[in-house]
Amino acid sequence: MTTPILVLDGVTKRFSGHTAVDGLSLAIPPGVIYGLLGPNGAGKTTTIRMILDIIRPDAGSVRLFGETGRARDHSARVGYLPEERGLYRKMRVVDVLVFLAEMKGIERRVARARALAWLERLGLGPWRLRRIDELSKGMQQKVQFISTLLHEPALVVLDEPFAGLDPVNTQVLKDVVLELRQGGVTVLFSTHIMEQAEKLCDQLCIIARGRKLVGGSLSDIKRTSSGQHLTIGFDGEAGDAARLFAERRLVKQVDDYGQYAELELTPGADPQELLRLLVASGARLSRFQVMEPSLHKIFMDLVGRDAARPVVREELITRA
Amino acid sequence: MPKVLAVIRREFVERVRSKWFWVSAILVPLFLAAVILLPAAFASSGGPKRIVVVDGTGSTFGQRVTEALRAGTTFQASRVTASPGVIDSLMREVGAKRLDGVLVLARDVVRTGAAEYRATNVSSLRDIGELRRVLGSVVTTARLERAGIDPAVMARAEQPITLATQKISGSATTGESSAQSFSLAYFMGIILYMVILMYGVNVKSSVLEEKTTRIVEVLVSSIRPFALLCGKVVGVGAVSLLQLAIWAVAGRVLFSQRAALAGRMGGLETDGGLFQMPHVSTATAAVFLAYFLGGFLLYSAMFAAVGAMSSSEQEAQQAQQPLVLVLVASFLSMFAELNDPSSTLAVVLSVVPFSSPIAMPVRWAAGDLPPVELAGSLVLLIAGIVGVTWVAARIYRVGILMTGKRPSLRELVRWVKAA
Repeated sequence: MTTPILVLDGVTKRFSGHTAVDGLSLAIPPGVIYGLLGPNGAGKTTTIRMILDIIRPDAGSVRLFGETGRARDHSARVGYLPEERGLYRKMRVVDVLVFLAEMKGIERRVARARALAWLERLGLGPWRLRRIDELSKGMQQKVQFISTLLHEPALVVLDEPFAGLDPVNTQVLKDVVLELRQGGVTVLFSTHIMEQAEKLCDQLCIIARGRKLVGGSLSDIKRTSSGQHLTIGFDGEAGDAARLFAERRLVKQVDDYGQYAELELTPGADPQELLRLLVASGARLSRFQVMEPSLHKIFMDLVGRDAARPVVREELITRA
Repeated sequence: MPKVLAVIRREFVERVRSKWFWVSAILVPLFLAAVILLPAAFASSGGPKRIVVVDGTGSTFGQRVTEALRAGTTFQASRVTASPGVIDSLMREVGAKRLDGVLVLARDVVRTGAAEYRATNVSSLRDIGELRRVLGSVVTTARLERAGIDPAVMARAEQPITLATQKISGSATTGESSAQSFSLAYFMGIILYMVILMYGVNVKSSVLEEKTTRIVEVLVSSIRPFALLCGKVVGVGAVSLLQLAIWAVAGRVLFSQRAALAGRMGGLETDGGLFQMPHVSTATAAVFLAYFLGGFLLYSAMFAAVGAMSSSEQEAQQAQQPLVLVLVASFLSMFAELNDPSSTLAVVLSVVPFSSPIAMPVRWAAGDLPPVELAGSLVLLIAGIVGVTWVAARIYRVGILMTGKRPSLRELVRWVKAA
C-alpha cells in the first residue's frame, strides 16, 4: 500500500452555532479519482477549504503529501478550482493564466508557453488576446480548468466541477480528468450528482451533516452498503430453486413466477454462490443477471430524506 | 516574494492599460490648461472694442480721454464733437454692430465726475474697469491742473508703488509670493484629495472583484492574505505615482509655455489675468509626496477592508460612505487652513492622522510652520497607518471568504479579535 497523498484525521470545523464538519477522517491514495459526495450543506466545500489551508480546522489534522505543516507551502503541487467560479473580467486570457500560474511559483516565460499550448489544445488559441468578458461562459470555464492545471499539480481539487457545464464541456472536463489519472495525478472532486461520480470515481466518500457515512472503493461500497438484486430465468428445469430461494442466508426477498424470478439478496451475500448452488441442483438457466444498485440508490438510502432539510448558512471565521 | 511581485505587477499593468487611467491622465492637464488660459482667452475675446467718444466738454478734456484710451489695448477710440442727433446716429451704428459702444462726456464731467457709457455689452468687467481707470486718471489730472498744481509734481505723485510679497521659510525668503503660496496650497489640496480618493476606491474595487469572483480563494491557497493585500496596495500606489508624475510633467510644460499658448489664442502678453506659476521647492515636493504616500496607505487599507466586508458593488458604495465623508471633510477644512494656517483648528487637523494627509501639506504650502509640528504629524501619521493596517488586514482576512450579508459593527469587532 502506497502512502496516501492526502490524509484527514478527525477534522472538525464549527461555525457559530453549528458543526459544518464533524470528526471527518479519510485517506486518498495517489493516482486515483476520489469523489467527495454529499447533499448540499453536507460540508464538502468546508472540507475542501480546510484541505487547501484557506480555513483552519478547529480540531484534527490535514496531511498533504505525507507531511504535516501548512498546505500553502505545498500549493505549487496542488491545483484548485473553487465552486463558484470567476476570472478577472477585464484581463486578457493569456495574462490571467500567466498570473495564476505565477501565484503557484511558475516562471512567467514557462507559464506563458504552457498557457498557449493549453489554449491551443482546448480550441481557444484564437482567443488568447481577448478579454475574459468577451468570452462565452463555456470558454471561461475552460480557461479556468487550464488555470487549475497549468502548474502541473500532483493533486487537483475540484469543487463541484460539473455544476453549470453544458454537455460538451462536461465531456471535455471528464476527458481531462481521466487523462490526469493516466498521468499519475490524483484528483479529488466534490459533487452531489451521483451519476458522474459513479462513472468517474475509483474511490469515494459520502458525507452528510459533516459526518462520513461510508468510504472506500466504489465496488466495495456497492457490495456492502445495500442488497443486490437478481433476475433469473429458467429453461424448463428449475431444479431445487424453490428451496434455495427460501434460504434467508442468501435471499432476502423473492418474487417467484416459476420460469422467472426476481429476488433481492441478503446484504453481503455473494450472487456467485447462489449460481453455483442452482446449477448443482440441476437447474437450466436462460438468464442470470446481477442488478447492481446504482450509487444514486445507495446515496438516497444512506443520506435519507432528512438531509434535504435546509442547513443554516455557513459563516466563516478564519485563522489564515 | 516573486508571488507578491506578480500581484504588484498585475495591479500596475492592468490599471495602466485601462482606458480609465489615460482619460484621467489627459483630463486633469486639460483642466489645468483651462484654468491657466481661459482668463486670458476671455479677456481678449474679439480684440479691441471700437468706441466713439462723444465730446461735449468743449475743452481739451475729450481729446485727452480719447488719447488715453488709444494708449491702452482694450479700445480703439475715436472722438466726435457733441451735436444734436449725433448720439442717435451713433446708436444706430452700434445697433448695426459697426460699433461696440459710445462714451458720452458732458460739459461738466470734470466737476461732477459723471460720464455715460452705452454699449451692447456693459458686463465686461475688464472693459468697464479700463474705462473707469482712464476717466478717473484724466479727471484727476484735470482737477489738479485747475487747482494750479505743477504737472511735474503730479507726475511724481502718481508714480506707483510696488509691493512685493515674499514668503519666509525659516529665515530665508523662498521666492514664493503670497498669490503663489495660495495657489500652490490650493492645488496640492485638490490633488491630494482627488488622488487619495480615486486610488483608494481602486483598491476597494480590486478586493471586491477578487472576492465576488472567488479568485481570492485560489489566491489565498497560494499566498498569505496579508501579502496579497500589500501587493495590491503597492501596485495601485505605483499607478497613482505614475499618474501624479504625468500630471506634474504636463503641468510644468503648460506653465512654462503659458505665455506662448495665451499669445497663440489671441491673448495679451500681460501677466495679470494668468494664474501664477507656483514655485515648488524640493522641501515642498518632499512634504507633498510623504503625505500623499501616507494618506494613500492609510485610506487604501481602510478601502480594502470595505471591499472585503461587502459582497456587491452597491453594498461597497454604502459601506465606503463614512470613509468618503472623512476625506471630504478633510478636503473642505483646507479652506480654513488657507484662511489662517496657524489657527488651533488648522493645527489640530494637520496633526490628526485622518485629516493630516491633506491638511499638513496645505499648511506647509500656505505658510511657515514649526518643524516640531511637521515631525509630530508625520510620527502620528505613521502610527495611524500601522494601527489602521493592522485592523484592516484582519477584517480583510476574514471578509474575503465571507458570503452573505454585510457584517454589523459588532461582528466586525469579533472578526478583528478572531483573526
